[in-house]
Amino acid sequence: MNPRPTDAGRDPDGDPAGDLNGDPGRDPGRDPSRRTALSLAATAGLTLALGALPAFTASAAPRRPADTAPLTGTSHDELWWRAPGDEGSLIEQGLPVGNGRLGALASNDPGRELLLITDATMWTGGLNDTLDSDGQFPYGRDDFGSFTLLARLTVDIPDHDLSGVNGYRRALDLAQGVVTSSYVRSGVTYRRQIFASHPDDTIVLHFTQSGGGRYTGSVTLEGTHGEKPSHAGSFGASFPNGLRYGAAVTAYGSGGRVRVNGTRVDFSGCTDLTVVVSGGTNYAPDADSGYRDPTLDPEKLARTKVLAAARHSADTLRRTHIADYRRLYERFTLSLGTSTDAQRSLDTWQRLTARARDGVPDPELEAAYLQFSRYLMISGSRDSLPLNLQGLWLDGNDPDWMGDYHTDINIQMNYWMADRAGLSPCFDAFADYCLAQLPSWAELTHGLFNDPRNRYRNSTEKVAGWTVAFSTNIHGGSGWWWHPASNAWLSNSLYEHYEYTQSRAYLAKIYPLLKGACEFWEARLLTTTLPGTSGEVLIDDRDWSPEHGPQDAKGITYAQELVWALFGNFAAAAAELKRDTAYAETIASLRKKLYLPEVSPKTGRLQEWMSPDNLGETTHRHLSPLIGLFPGDRIRPDGSTPQEIVDGATALLTARGMNSFGWANAWRAACWARLKDADTAYQLVVNNLRPSTDGSNGTAFNLFDIYEVEKGRGIFQIDANFGTPAAMSEMLLYSRPGHLELLPALPDAWAVSGSVTGLAARGGFVVDLRWEHGVPTSVTIRSVGGRTTTVAHGSTSRTVRLAPGGSVTLKGFAR
Amino acid sequence: MRSPSYPVMPVRALRPLVVLALAAGLATAAPAARAQPEDGDATAATPAASATAAKPYMGWTSWSMQSSKYPGLNPNGDYSYLTEANVLKQTDALAAKLKKYGYEYINIDAGWWRDYAWTPEFDKYGRQQADPVRFPSGMKPVADRIHAKGLKAGIYLPVGLEKEAYGGGKVPIWNAAGCTTADIVYDDLRTTNGWDSAYKIDFSDPCAQKYIDSQARMFADWGYDFLKLDGVGPGSFKSGDNYDNVADVAAWQKAISATGRPIHLELSWSLDIGHAGDWKKHSNGWRVDTDVECYCNTLVSWENSVDDRWDDTPAWTRHAGPGGWNDLDSLDVGNGEMDGLTKAERQSYATLWAIAKSPLYTGDDVTKLDSYGLSLLTNREVIAVNQGDAPPARPVTPSDPQQVWAAENHDGSYTVALFNLADRPASVTADWSTLGFTGKAAVRDLWNHESLGTHKDRITQALPAHGSRLFTVTPHGDALTWTGIEAESPANTLGGNASVADCAACSDGHKVGNLYTGSELTVNNVVVDKAGTYQIKVAYVSGDARSAEISANGGGATRHKFPSTGDWSTVNSVHVPVTLKAGSNTITFDSGSGYAPDIDRIDVPKSS
Repeated sequence: MNPRPTDAGRDPDGDPAGDLNGDPGRDPGRDPSRRTALSLAATAGLTLALGALPAFTASAAPRRPADTAPLTGTSHDELWWRAPGDEGSLIEQGLPVGNGRLGALASNDPGRELLLITDATMWTGGLNDTLDSDGQFPYGRDDFGSFTLLARLTVDIPDHDLSGVNGYRRALDLAQGVVTSSYVRSGVTYRRQIFASHPDDTIVLHFTQSGGGRYTGSVTLEGTHGEKPSHAGSFGASFPNGLRYGAAVTAYGSGGRVRVNGTRVDFSGCTDLTVVVSGGTNYAPDADSGYRDPTLDPEKLARTKVLAAARHSADTLRRTHIADYRRLYERFTLSLGTSTDAQRSLDTWQRLTARARDGVPDPELEAAYLQFSRYLMISGSRDSLPLNLQGLWLDGNDPDWMGDYHTDINIQMNYWMADRAGLSPCFDAFADYCLAQLPSWAELTHGLFNDPRNRYRNSTEKVAGWTVAFSTNIHGGSGWWWHPASNAWLSNSLYEHYEYTQSRAYLAKIYPLLKGACEFWEARLLTTTLPGTSGEVLIDDRDWSPEHGPQDAKGITYAQELVWALFGNFAAAAAELKRDTAYAETIASLRKKLYLPEVSPKTGRLQEWMSPDNLGETTHRHLSPLIGLFPGDRIRPDGSTPQEIVDGATALLTARGMNSFGWANAWRAACWARLKDADTAYQLVVNNLRPSTDGSNGTAFNLFDIYEVEKGRGIFQIDANFGTPAAMSEMLLYSRPGHLELLPALPDAWAVSGSVTGLAARGGFVVDLRWEHGVPTSVTIRSVGGRTTTVAHGSTSRTVRLAPGGSVTLKGFAR
Repeated sequence: MRSPSYPVMPVRALRPLVVLALAAGLATAAPAARAQPEDGDATAATPAASATAAKPYMGWTSWSMQSSKYPGLNPNGDYSYLTEANVLKQTDALAAKLKKYGYEYINIDAGWWRDYAWTPEFDKYGRQQADPVRFPSGMKPVADRIHAKGLKAGIYLPVGLEKEAYGGGKVPIWNAAGCTTADIVYDDLRTTNGWDSAYKIDFSDPCAQKYIDSQARMFADWGYDFLKLDGVGPGSFKSGDNYDNVADVAAWQKAISATGRPIHLELSWSLDIGHAGDWKKHSNGWRVDTDVECYCNTLVSWENSVDDRWDDTPAWTRHAGPGGWNDLDSLDVGNGEMDGLTKAERQSYATLWAIAKSPLYTGDDVTKLDSYGLSLLTNREVIAVNQGDAPPARPVTPSDPQQVWAAENHDGSYTVALFNLADRPASVTADWSTLGFTGKAAVRDLWNHESLGTHKDRITQALPAHGSRLFTVTPHGDALTWTGIEAESPANTLGGNASVADCAACSDGHKVGNLYTGSELTVNNVVVDKAGTYQIKVAYVSGDARSAEISANGGGATRHKFPSTGDWSTVNSVHVPVTLKAGSNTITFDSGSGYAPDIDRIDVPKSS
């Protein structure tokens, strides 16, 4: 993911987005390639009915817990600040809330609460199926489309100007999923809580006080695309692409008056006030319906939802939300050690600053950083679309790279930590998205990939299965350049979720994606003879190692590794599901013939291209040729991989350097963790924790990761917020089916004592682990489907056999 | 500007001038340890007339509205707001709304002797005379009307003999037999002032003083109480002999004195701090900076140029006192829409002016003050800070956009202002250790008229973008004890070009200078009992604003800004936070690739 290459040459004024159902230029009945696409679509459609929910829909009455169980987390699961967010800089200063679909960034300014509200499905653009003259996809906000804001909510309280309040404090309670701000004005303590409820499908703002204060002001809900308000409490409109959307708000309080005044809701003299907002679109994850639900009126549904929620007190809504949130949050706990009282006395921003300035580890802050990523995952990835480049959060309608799905690291990294850190249910949004897009992806592949203008087309002149470009949207469309191996990386990422969960139903669901990807490569791979040998190998056709080096290189390491892993995963899946036995054998035999990368005799590094020469930038951000080290694990430093290959990978990783930005550092950290180099991995984690100032690379005020696209201009990219915690978890546990390694790369900073519960392992286990002075003191292995695994630490290894659901506690891993 | 035939006089905030100013700033930013002669009295001002300007004056000026493009203000062309009717309208409003809070001067700015096309008019003695369209009654009746409201009247002149008054050299000087305009200027008609709109006056000819006397006499006869002398150099973006108007200013002081009428003499603009001694000797106030007005659709804007004052004022602080004050220019906070500022910006603007003890004169339309503007201009607690007898505040932690300024009051309390100059909200902390004490203190919020109770060791508040708070802090704790270490101590380590130099004003007579391009001073063996973040006091000398990268024990460095001390022979001190471990530490001042200030000594509090 990077600034678009200068030679991309996109025409920003492409045709308006075509509609899948309305394209008269193509007759599916006479297009021979259409049949395969339709069969894929049918398979996917079937599984879809079992899996995904529509994005914005009427929901059943929530379960209302009678009371709240005591918190089991630590008091350190709180981030706090001493200043509100600036209206113009909410992407760095707003606090995120979200219910998995509906999100907001909140300013928490006493005198003017501002929420920039998003819905994951709020996209412009369309199928984007007319290629540019170079055979690649248009990439504009009208044709490809862009993620955009849904609404803007303000609660003005004019008497509460920040210049006149004292003791301002603002906190994000990670353990309960609630944003709180408080301040004192004229002796009265005012308190405000904001949360996004999944069960009630609304965002709730609750204003309270103690000491005899009153709230007087107004609530305004507006669109951000020039919509006219239809009522004071709601609006609705549609985009040129036919997507309907709408939002609604209601407010209620006590002790004063709340009334509609034109396009505002005014309140006066209220001792407390509750504001409930909801909204959404008529997006439907269904290619057959053109990704729309024509029966859905989003504005009306939003009004129904806020009125339903408003029948309950804010306390009830909050209790319902917290119970729901904690069911996910408490699946995983983490302690990396104890911070000092001096560190604890600092607010989160000061703490980040001190961590970077003083170079002293702050284990509680570092653990909270990981827990923040889990908060983002719970808030941004449930029952709707997956997290995009900005997760679920925006501060404007022109996010860089459209806030889209980038398939050459970013969407994959977004989901690296979901399983590892106890949030497997949040992974479903990613899998469901791919399944819902598959019919369109397959159709576009069949119709367009072998376009003679496409430099990446198959020389074999065959095409099968599916692939996508570097960018994908939510309308079944691709953007920017074709990216053949995207299908393999997406499939492998989805398969890994199966490795963690061992859910056969899930495996059956994603099977069409894996099979379609295999079919694509079966049609694409070229047979060649390596110089100086007689053996034939299979290689990728003309391709581009992501965003790096020559754009017509055959046999790039990236693709060879991904396809090698894909073919292996498919064979395992077919065996598990007892399907396609013959085809699985075909794929397994192809896999044996795949060329695998060599170490350059010139540089000593693993080759990125089939060349001993360095054809790119030594410190390039992408680690595409190391994909077999992480997230793949073909390259293992345990004696099973030739030492020359491990050394070559290490040399390449070393050459890539330590000073990149967010996701690039996170990827490096995970690779170093795989190489068991704790200090280097930790340093890269720490590099990402550096506070971002004036747009520099690092962590913003609100802990969002900032990428400096140009001097002085930093943008939010959420991938590092997930990739860095994933690397942290790899430092605590390495796993592959049948083998776990405890604390493979534990840095000194975390070694004194620590614990983790709910850490998931590939092969179907969950690990609870305590350690002292770098040595595991107590290990509990629970099976979520796995049966046999070795559990190793240093030179000690045990074999564990469990029935699904069983668990065992191990002790005595002294060095 | 409406017409190219205009003389260039009033507009001085335009880009080319700013560029000149920047270039001048660069030219002075060279050597590190350069000694300059002391420029006169460094403590209290020597009042020109002790009764005049005993306190910073308060009032109204016409220029902000004259200079603005705000719709409707200047219907007859640029600067046309200035008319007798408008002045009297503002007089009535000021008398009604603001007089009881201490506002008393009504100051007529540039143009009273110029028609709407900006053509000047003079009497037969080469003295400016009222434009009959703007001031149909003439200037004396206007002053009389102002006085009738119990207010004082101010008037304006550019320095020098205006070119149009020269009259071929044949214009006689009033009450000076035999003197004509030819006698008072140089033969080569060299020009002077910030716009080169006047011939430089040659005071070696006695006729020159007579001309100034004639103007002063005229103003005294009309009954004016205040004169703004504008375009004065060195300053007004000019330097060099032709623009040295010290003799003009001295002549004005003498002429005013001779009239027997107390007339406050205020100098404008961006006066050269190198001549602070002259300004103090001969005047009652001096503009330290360029115009605060933006010459745009509002009266002012934050960036152009309200915010400059936080950087430019500290060097001047020590020069202010009874008889002569640092003038930060108009205080345009009375009407948010017309001012072009946020509420937070308006409060910060008023806060700095108050604590710096700048004259408080608004350029707003006093007939249209909004309620918030009125509350800012009439807050008695804040006005008392400005008008009281405590010294002006200076920055104690100026190194980043979150600044704290403070002054110690005679009763042992402190005036403490918190500023957030960043473009986004931020918390700002005032550490009591930067005020010299530790423990508890009572805090009074002046803007909000509220006692905030007792705060231990520090107070932290969230401030909006460009926001401020203003407190009186009354210590109930203990005086802080310090460990002082001289920069020149042989126990310290010097790197790069750094070297020890003599410094008369420095403690122990020495400092470390030449801290530029990769040079550093490491203060060794800084011992504290407890680990923590300490606000260390850094005494330094710097003739211009500089930065240093400061680190402890070889750890990560933080870049800190040091305001100019005004010259290379004055020591100031500021506080910077440094995180120390228990026991012995090192503290390093690194110039980085630029220039750092000369360091005199550091003082480390004995508790954090």
